[in-house]
Amino acid sequence: MLMKPFLDMQFGERIITLMAALVLVLQIAVVAQRWIVTHIRIFAIQSFLLAMIAATIAWFNHAPHIYIAAGMTLVVKVILVPIFLERLVVRMEIREEIKPIINVPLSVMISGGLTLLGYVVAESFFKPDEPGLGHNELAVAISLFLIGFFTMINRRKALTQVLALLSLENGLFLAAISLTYGMPLIVELGILFDVLVAAMVLGILVYRIRETFESMDVSLLRRLRG
Amino acid sequence: MSGQIVTRIVESFAQLFLLVALAPLVTGVIRTLKARLQTRRGPSIFQPYRDLYKLFRKGMVIPETASWIFAATPWIAFFSTILAGLMIPMVAADAPLGLFGGVLAVIYLLGLGRFFLALSGLDTGSSFGGIGSSREMTISALAEPAMMLAIFTVAIGAGSTGLTEIAGAAIGQTWRFLAPAQMFAFAALALVLIAETGRIPVDNPATHLELTMIHEAMILEYSGPYLALVEWAASIKQLVLMTLLINCFWPVGLQPLWFGFGALIGIVWLLAKLLLLSCAIVLIETVNAKMRLFRVPELLAVAFTLGSLALVSTFLF
Repeated sequence: MLMKPFLDMQFGERIITLMAALVLVLQIAVVAQRWIVTHIRIFAIQSFLLAMIAATIAWFNHAPHIYIAAGMTLVVKVILVPIFLERLVVRMEIREEIKPIINVPLSVMISGGLTLLGYVVAESFFKPDEPGLGHNELAVAISLFLIGFFTMINRRKALTQVLALLSLENGLFLAAISLTYGMPLIVELGILFDVLVAAMVLGILVYRIRETFESMDVSLLRRLRG
Repeated sequence: MSGQIVTRIVESFAQLFLLVALAPLVTGVIRTLKARLQTRRGPSIFQPYRDLYKLFRKGMVIPETASWIFAATPWIAFFSTILAGLMIPMVAADAPLGLFGGVLAVIYLLGLGRFFLALSGLDTGSSFGGIGSSREMTISALAEPAMMLAIFTVAIGAGSTGLTEIAGAAIGQTWRFLAPAQMFAFAALALVLIAETGRIPVDNPATHLELTMIHEAMILEYSGPYLALVEWAASIKQLVLMTLLINCFWPVGLQPLWFGFGALIGIVWLLAKLLLLSCAIVLIETVNAKMRLFRVPELLAVAFTLGSLALVSTFLF
């Protein structure tokens, strides 16, 4: 009797939609955020929620291979990448605030607009008679993707751009898992490995940019250095 | 028909008593909890009552430059807030004065009180009062659209802007809270609650530095019974907004009618929910530092975006 709601697909869909909405809220919170350490932690929480979404999908669809994807997400994006990035922040002694190019209230509004765009785009993919998760998750995924892009454009410092790229990748993960109930495991593993390597390579690159230019501001990269 | 009118009147007085008596207690509980969380002993939870009692017995100093607005404002603020409080469902889903207006009336009655407080801040000609009024109006101008959008989201779900219907619709569906639209609206309204009641990331209710004050700067010139009225009105407004938030989004224990044993259960539930919300407010206040005034629009922009997402997603989901 107690287990009954945990077998009901309707209930599962509700929970997944709720978590997807939370992921979206966190993405908008990232846009309004000024401290890089908080940014990294929000990314970690967002990834954790994604892993939970994956686990919920695995539970309700009896697809054990998605558990592995969820576990890998947990290890890589919730634990390894944030720890690595936080150590980088400590090592580079970043203390100043993030200064976005467009001011924060306007950025938040633009993110809201991009979410709308995400919903409009997702609406066209939606077919009510086909099985599979609703268009909500796809809409959230497209919004994550768009807001991630916007954040990358909106930030000057290389490290925050890396973070934006990572949350953009979160959007891709959500789209994949909600549309197809998980890609083949080998693809999933490849993507996660890619993310890990990309984060590390970019981290090292950021460090080198700072060593050479004494700043992480990418707009300085236009000048040549001998 | 006349029997119905009588029950309405009885309900109104019961809710009036509850509002007026409970509001200082909520303020006191929040203060004490906050002190405990900062490992201070803190005042007793009944301290606001004692403060009010003391203020009512004291003499008043009225600035020479003050006009009739200065004297009228405490009364207008107090009674408009109480009237707004009678239009919201507290113990029963049926708001006593619900037939006189829905949620828009509540918002604008609160707005009326705020408008007169801002006027009285300007009225005495003190520069701190002017700063306070200007800041309060800036914040409320930004908070109001977010609040409207959040409330409209709930109203669309219920098919009416009447709070009785909204609370009634909320009672019907148990898992409604899990809908993303409801959650966005809840988050937006919670941010607005913090801004409107002058809680810490926006305003510091315990500050003694005039330059950082918002609400306190506006009422700096008040003393004695007038100050008591204004502070009482502020705590009632806080209670009204908190009740609105919990009863629109989390109507557990809300009774269909005011009568008998049910009302008692309703009151117990209301107190429990208020305590829970107070704990959340205390946590937010303790872990956050006060924002610079120029950062407040960022917080309210987030509230506005959440509110508009909520409204839009009711149509899309």
